[in-house]
Amino acid sequence: MSVKKSAALLTLAVLFCAPGGVNAQATAPPKGLEFPLTQYKLKNGLQVILSEDESLPLVSVVVAYGVGPIREQPGKSGLAYLMENLMFQGSENISPMQHINYIQRIGGEFNANTAFDKSFFYQTVPSNQLALVLWLESDRMGSLSVTGVNVERTKETLMAEQRQRRSAEPYLESFFLFDEILFPDFVYSHPLLGTEEDLRDITEEDVRSFYRTYYVPNNAVLCITGSLNVPRTKELIAKYFETIPRGNDIPDPPAPKLVEGSPIRDTELKESLAPSPAFHFGYQINHLQTGEYYGLRILDILMFRGKGSRLYKRLVKKERVALYLSGGIEERRELRAFKVFTISNNSVMSDLSRKAIASEMGKLRTTLVPDAELAKAKDLFKMDYLGRLSTSLQRALFLSETFLSGKRLEDLAEEYAKYLKVTPVTIVSLANRLFTPENAFTLNLVTK
Amino acid sequence: MINPRRKNWRRTCFLAGLCALTFTLSVRSQERFRKSPPIPDPLQELRLPLIESATLSNGLTLAVARKTSSPLMSLQLVVLAGESDSRPDLPGSASLTANMIGRGTNLLSTAEIEERIESIGGEFAASVSLDVTMFTFNVLEENLDKALEIFSTIVLKASFPEGQMDTVKRTMYYELFEREKDPEYVAKRQLFRMLFKGHPYQTSIFNEDVIKNVGREDILSFYDRFYRPNNALLVIAGNMNLSTASRKVSHYFNTWTARRMDRPLLPSPPPNDREQVAFIDLPQAKDAMIVLGNVIFPATNSDYFPFIVLNQVLGGTMGSRLFMNLRESKGYASYAFSGADFFKSCGVFWVRAKVTPEVIRDSVQEVLKEIGSSAIEKTSSFEIEQAKSFLIGNFPLKNEPLTSFSLEVARIKAFNLGEDHWNKYYENIILVNLERVLATAQRFLQPWPAIVIVGNKNLVADYLREFDKVDIYDISGNLRSTINKGVEK
Repeated sequence: MSVKKSAALLTLAVLFCAPGGVNAQATAPPKGLEFPLTQYKLKNGLQVILSEDESLPLVSVVVAYGVGPIREQPGKSGLAYLMENLMFQGSENISPMQHINYIQRIGGEFNANTAFDKSFFYQTVPSNQLALVLWLESDRMGSLSVTGVNVERTKETLMAEQRQRRSAEPYLESFFLFDEILFPDFVYSHPLLGTEEDLRDITEEDVRSFYRTYYVPNNAVLCITGSLNVPRTKELIAKYFETIPRGNDIPDPPAPKLVEGSPIRDTELKESLAPSPAFHFGYQINHLQTGEYYGLRILDILMFRGKGSRLYKRLVKKERVALYLSGGIEERRELRAFKVFTISNNSVMSDLSRKAIASEMGKLRTTLVPDAELAKAKDLFKMDYLGRLSTSLQRALFLSETFLSGKRLEDLAEEYAKYLKVTPVTIVSLANRLFTPENAFTLNLVTK
Repeated sequence: MINPRRKNWRRTCFLAGLCALTFTLSVRSQERFRKSPPIPDPLQELRLPLIESATLSNGLTLAVARKTSSPLMSLQLVVLAGESDSRPDLPGSASLTANMIGRGTNLLSTAEIEERIESIGGEFAASVSLDVTMFTFNVLEENLDKALEIFSTIVLKASFPEGQMDTVKRTMYYELFEREKDPEYVAKRQLFRMLFKGHPYQTSIFNEDVIKNVGREDILSFYDRFYRPNNALLVIAGNMNLSTASRKVSHYFNTWTARRMDRPLLPSPPPNDREQVAFIDLPQAKDAMIVLGNVIFPATNSDYFPFIVLNQVLGGTMGSRLFMNLRESKGYASYAFSGADFFKSCGVFWVRAKVTPEVIRDSVQEVLKEIGSSAIEKTSSFEIEQAKSFLIGNFPLKNEPLTSFSLEVARIKAFNLGEDHWNKYYENIILVNLERVLATAQRFLQPWPAIVIVGNKNLVADYLREFDKVDIYDISGNLRSTINKGVEK
């Protein structure tokens, strides 16, 4: 199939503002969401998303794969993180380190990031260097170099990093343990870093097989944003990516196997590295009903975002029972958790922190959030959401992540509006349904 | 605080050279075009928003950089007074004054101010450098009027409540105390102490102990003297034109009254020209931190552009000479970079390298060799073009985020850098050639740099004796002893 024909067949051009366009019936986008969008799929399954923005002569390129720790088998934890590192160790035409050197030499920036079920590789470069990035990314998608030497060296580095962090970072182990409590299924709970034992046992063949299965065009999205010419960009994409063979079809990840019965709700852990007592508190959120996600996101802001958030104000500013506070809603596909972590001066303060959190959670269940507070949370939400779209890289990451999460990019404006429609009643109902004693767990950390 | 997957590419990237051994997971035959990198398209023109300025009736300079597509706005209020304007006997006054802004007015408490800022989703922060104080306020475009109202209230009607002074002082004390755990911070601070000795910039270098000496009267005096509209500028970046901005800003800031300002430009401190090596003991440091540098010119100088190209060749990135030599070739360092900070009266060129204790002396020698004339003379036009390519490519990247963009506009206006650092930036870099770089290196890298080493004395003492003379300072900058020809006195 010729490039032109394939593009014509597979292109779904979506311009949010185009009168009479395919999305003409959708909610009018707010400022910041008015960007053009072109989506299509190559015949090898690679999803392409393009979004032009001529304001500066630069482009961001994200290649995101639908893989992460969720695809790791017991005994092979850390494989996705290992792969993230190996992706910089060279491919058929690019020597180790050269990917980085090529990008840095032209003033570009790069990085990679592995989340629970997605891996992102990205760079921002001057717009005239787009072909260079496509050359680099297509080479590692099509022909990564996996050798015994570079696998072993990368494993050694990661194991050393792991030893160093596990022996020096207070509370780190407790975060891993609390994830096991809140997400009671290996696939959903094990840490990205993996364990040192598992890393040691990963073989060259494990890496090859993982790469051949998941780092394939039909499990990836290529998103390019910035100063680009769409026809020219499509030509370049076809040139560099179209001949990369499609991989085997990838089945959905296994559904979580949740532990039945009555698990232990309160756990205690002696932390040898901890300078002060601390504790984790959380709710399992296993089933969200349609539309509840939006309320949950606003609730997250109410409780955690900034110094005016409910928990910070109560625990750190007003009662001064916590020295440090962090938390939020964490998502691992269909499983979610509401998590709080606090560090206090002593065990009495730690206990008071726990009571203060319980009291704030109680308030959420019994009292409607005042309108002014909800409006504030929505303004903070807008700052965060629109801020995530304000640079070419952030936009490319956001679009890739949204696509890999199974959402339609055409619906962004509509979805944005749903967050702003959350009411005090939405929040109180959500809190009553989700934040129940049978969903609550604690992990108390005492100093040795 | 806890980041279960922190990553440092500098650490996880390995030496090149394994490609000959690789088994490549390729199942297709190689297309010819994949064998080498593509030729780039022609460089696209850089069209930055125009920076439009006006002076309001009370003397406040307003600068607007329009970004029509942005739903957010970033405001920078710059007061043209920084730490070097603190009284020599009261260092820290500028920072304490800035940190007290937003801590109360006659009508609003700290909590009420925080609540008002958060109620519009705003973000407010203050920062103080040697010459200027900057207040950043980021907000949604739809809330700009409310933001200007809050912003003007907290700056113009600041009441500096006594009760908040202790809290702010305590916070500043602990922040400085925490920063002193970082060997690089400690080393750079000592370098600045040595370079600015006897100059008003010396006041800017202080440690946490002096904060307690600054009283409410002192910050009232600092505020009264320097926080004046004719000594300030307001930058607005976002979807706004100059006339609307002038109207809005005049409305909220017109009660701010001017006062005669008489602040002559400080002379540049002289460059260091003698061998001096300082050491500071930081018991928790595992490696040795080397920071060395010298005084150079301010950013308004025409040598600025050749110098930043030169810096790029020497130590701007992981591909630059210092990194390639000290880390990749010699294996002495986990990193080695160079850079420059620019102030109103001068600049400071510096090199920073984290090395293993046993090679401190060798590492210093290598750095001196790299910045010495014989190495610089070997610079090729190819290296210069590569460095220029980096700087041209990186310029739009670093100015893309709205806050960085507005900060850069504020820097350009505050230091009178003009179009040379904005729409003419590409042109100025393109015009740099090998001759200009060599001439700049000759002028500014020739004087002997001041050298600072920070590490655990128990681990590095033997290696310090390899230097002819090392002055040992405490963390506050007091000279404690000297190692002379291997003997400590």
